[in-house]
Amino acid sequence: MSGREARVWLPGSLDELWKIWSDAPDAVLYAGGTDLMVRRRKGGPLAGSDLICLERVADFREIREEGEEILIGAGCTIASLMDHPLVRQNFPVLTQAFKVLGSPPIRNMASIGGNICTASPAGDTLPPLYVMDALLELRRENGLRRIPIREFITGPGKTDLGPGEVLSGIRIPRLPRYNLHHYEKVGQRNALSISIAGLAAIARISAERTIEDIRLAWGSVGPTVVRSRNIEKALTGKPLSSESMEAAFPLVDRAVSPIDDLRANARYRRILARNLLLRLPFRGVHP
Amino acid sequence: MKRKTERQPCEAGRSMPRLDAYAKVTGKTRYASDFYAGDMVWAGVKRGGVPHATILSVETEEARAVEGVIAVLTAEDVTGTNRQGVVRKDQPVLADHRIRHRGDPVALVVAESRRALREAVDLIRIQVEPLRAVLDTDAALRDGAISIHEDHPGGNVLLEGTLETGEGEDAFAQCDAVVEAEFQVPMQEHAYLETEAGWSVLEGDGVLKIEASTQTPFRDRSEVAEAIGLPVDRVRVIAPYCGGAFGGKDGVTIQSLLGLAAMRVPGRPVKMWLDREESFLAGVKRHPARLRFRLGAKADGTLHALSADLDYDTGPYDHLGGVVTALGLEHAGGPYRIPNTRVRARSVYTNNPVGGAFRGFGVPQAAAGMEQVIDMLASKLGLSPVTMRLKNVVRRGDRNAIGVAVLSSTGIHECLEVLEGHPLWRDRRAWKDRCPPARKRGVGVACVMQAVGYGPKVPDVANAKIELTPEGAFRVYCGVVDMGQGNITTYLQIAGHVLSQDLTAMEPVLPDTDQTLPSGSASASRTTFTFGKALIRASKLLKRRILERATDLLMEEDPRNLDLVPGEVIHLTSGKRIPLSQIALILNREERFAVARYRAPVSRERPTDREDLRLHGIPHTVFSFGAHLAAVEVDELTGRIAVKKYLVISDCGRLINPRLFEQQVHGGVAQGLGYGLLEDMIVRDGKIMTGDFSTYIIPTALDVPNMVSLAVQMEEKSGPFGLKGAGEVAVDAPLPAVANAVADACGVRITRFPMTPERIMEQLERSGEPAP
Repeated sequence: MSGREARVWLPGSLDELWKIWSDAPDAVLYAGGTDLMVRRRKGGPLAGSDLICLERVADFREIREEGEEILIGAGCTIASLMDHPLVRQNFPVLTQAFKVLGSPPIRNMASIGGNICTASPAGDTLPPLYVMDALLELRRENGLRRIPIREFITGPGKTDLGPGEVLSGIRIPRLPRYNLHHYEKVGQRNALSISIAGLAAIARISAERTIEDIRLAWGSVGPTVVRSRNIEKALTGKPLSSESMEAAFPLVDRAVSPIDDLRANARYRRILARNLLLRLPFRGVHP
Repeated sequence: MKRKTERQPCEAGRSMPRLDAYAKVTGKTRYASDFYAGDMVWAGVKRGGVPHATILSVETEEARAVEGVIAVLTAEDVTGTNRQGVVRKDQPVLADHRIRHRGDPVALVVAESRRALREAVDLIRIQVEPLRAVLDTDAALRDGAISIHEDHPGGNVLLEGTLETGEGEDAFAQCDAVVEAEFQVPMQEHAYLETEAGWSVLEGDGVLKIEASTQTPFRDRSEVAEAIGLPVDRVRVIAPYCGGAFGGKDGVTIQSLLGLAAMRVPGRPVKMWLDREESFLAGVKRHPARLRFRLGAKADGTLHALSADLDYDTGPYDHLGGVVTALGLEHAGGPYRIPNTRVRARSVYTNNPVGGAFRGFGVPQAAAGMEQVIDMLASKLGLSPVTMRLKNVVRRGDRNAIGVAVLSSTGIHECLEVLEGHPLWRDRRAWKDRCPPARKRGVGVACVMQAVGYGPKVPDVANAKIELTPEGAFRVYCGVVDMGQGNITTYLQIAGHVLSQDLTAMEPVLPDTDQTLPSGSASASRTTFTFGKALIRASKLLKRRILERATDLLMEEDPRNLDLVPGEVIHLTSGKRIPLSQIALILNREERFAVARYRAPVSRERPTDREDLRLHGIPHTVFSFGAHLAAVEVDELTGRIAVKKYLVISDCGRLINPRLFEQQVHGGVAQGLGYGLLEDMIVRDGKIMTGDFSTYIIPTALDVPNMVSLAVQMEEKSGPFGLKGAGEVAVDAPLPAVANAVADACGVRITRFPMTPERIMEQLERSGEPAP
């Protein structure tokens, strides 16, 4: 056990954040703390560390339209995003994921930025962000860079976040051409549940029910979220039917690399990775 | 003067809100774990950490040197028997010589702060010589298996019992259809909100006071005294409202350890409070069991022969494992007439976590097997599962599956009739036909019974005490713990009914070995049954005394001309009223109290002559019953089971407080659904791999369907106002009801529970069913 109590700062602005952080460079950044606090309780290097809480940094709590994109502050809570008209109207696949994330108290605390930086293969917001090609904004005291989410997350719990860098926002393009928005998560129960496997899909389905364009991302079946251009290409131009989906099963098998853990074995995860595609033909399509 | 509105007296049969609800939901209720005091110290233990080993030495020097550490104790410091247990006292307070499971406490630390405590516990080193760990019942029973208790004559078999009726297994030759199956049911965690907790102080008069989260204050008192070497009159146990228990606090948890610690710091309160992980590690569990059933019937569906073998893994200690196993044995044949049976149950020692009491007490395991094979047999004979059961359930006067005449009220036939006529059963086909794509719907039923009380040998006794206070109110000295069921409210309702008082005129005294009278445990579906009956008697005695003194006061001749109303005695012919406070003044202290005893009835039947089985509870005479229906939807793509609708019809006698009864049913079903569907305790090498709530999955509000609870209110003469126990029976049926519904939906039956999606998917694939 560390000999002293951990210190916690609550900066109200970016300027304050940079100042505090330079005084306490070893402090750990967080927003909601719903993952971090659990990990601290279990001991390890995080247990006694100093903390900087980002929940009061105003710049991180904004949601605004910027041309064809919407910028979501990384500190926005899941609950606030779930109710936000811009998010609900533009990103139904994300809203569906929010609804099955944790529980109401968790959603009131947890931030979308935290879900991304935790970089769990089971993170509920990640498959939707992958299919929408979300672009992340990373800030440092004297700069800003943008990086696609699939390049940012490099492994389980691993990201490309550099020293002195903080995730400040998520930029998502509006996707008006897509008329099928689907997220399904299989967990051990209906709330407060970690994903065993999940599938996010957005697609353009023609009046004749042909798949004109589709993007797919699987959670919890690999070290990071799985998106496969091969599968997407193979399905393009095919009818939205169980047969088309089944035809893609061999490609799914190749794309995923699930593991055994306490929640499920790899074999079951493989079955889910395939079968979750079979739900798509039953999904409603908005003309 | 305007007359105040008449206060409405309590009435048995009418719902009333819980007395404790407001204080609990506003956080005002003080549980044992809520105790803090300025001079308080902390106690905690170093646990074994290995499944099986001989202790060579316990090194405590470094721990003692930690600043703030007051004492470090090992088994050598225990002057009593250092043994706990209810039937077979085989569990050390602090392990001496041997570690028998990973959670065994080996050294006790008393410290000024939690931080010093933790630091000291981490510094204790236990030198051991590992022994081969016995990790399942097969290994325990194998020839040459290492004995977990060398002094136990039965080796690793704690208790074995066989009951036979009619021609036993020979009768299978006369059956037209026979099915057999083997099932494994899991360990289950109680998962109470309040983990094991309490505090203790050695007071100036030499009395050790222990306030604990417990179901059994009176038994704790003698158990602790014996284990740590004190005369029983120097131990006082107080049991406040308990934050959930479900059987997990039926027996000593932290009490003896607290006592040992408090003896080291006379006058200072010592607190011990397990965190969730330690509660998982050290707390008792529902016994995992392997069940082998063979059931045979005549062509018309009449049950004819049953053979059942139930093996319960009790972990390294009896705790209540023998009694749990005996109750499983008694209930193996369910609520059915079966003329020829051979049932055997064994309780087997292993080095797994300790098996103990848990709501249902051995019956959920038995029902999991029996209620599935009867469905399989019905299906083989082409009968509906309800028809099959209606044909075979016991009626009053019949002999049950172990040959015992059923003499008390028996409403399972009536429950089933209500189920058969209910829209959820009647219209099931239409509901199944409306199934969404890629899903299958099914409806299943299960019938269960649950014994009420302790059985023929151990006296099931309660002693009630009630006081007319000097202020004219009534104080009920409740001898049985309220661990959340609401029985304290029911006790006041009972006394209020007899004395025609409302709740504002009454107050409870919670269990305290100094204040209340020995009344047994809050367990065995006997909490309201036995104490309620004693309380009726005590209340009637007091009522009579009050009315007699009021008769004298009014120079009236016949007490029948007077009656009690809220706060007053009323003279019926003149309308004259005397406040109870006035009566209280003219009674001396002794007269203001009334006490009464009740001993629950016992069966005179002797299905076995083995005195040890009788001691373990066989047979019972009063049973509660239930018929359950589950309507489920199985997702063919994921194997997930959603329970969409749930119906329970119970025979728990007449209800005193229908609202509290319904809460018991809801809670029992939720816990039973967790048992059947979600709660997969994974134990490897004696180690719990799912030792917290992120990996051990209990149901949330979104996992439990709306439930319809109906009651067949048949009067049970031996119970208070015709009531029978209701705390357990609802937990027995959800697993088989859902399993039967799943089989109805998609034709698969899994044999290893819980029914996780992964296991369902495996079966769906194997059965060649869709699973594309």
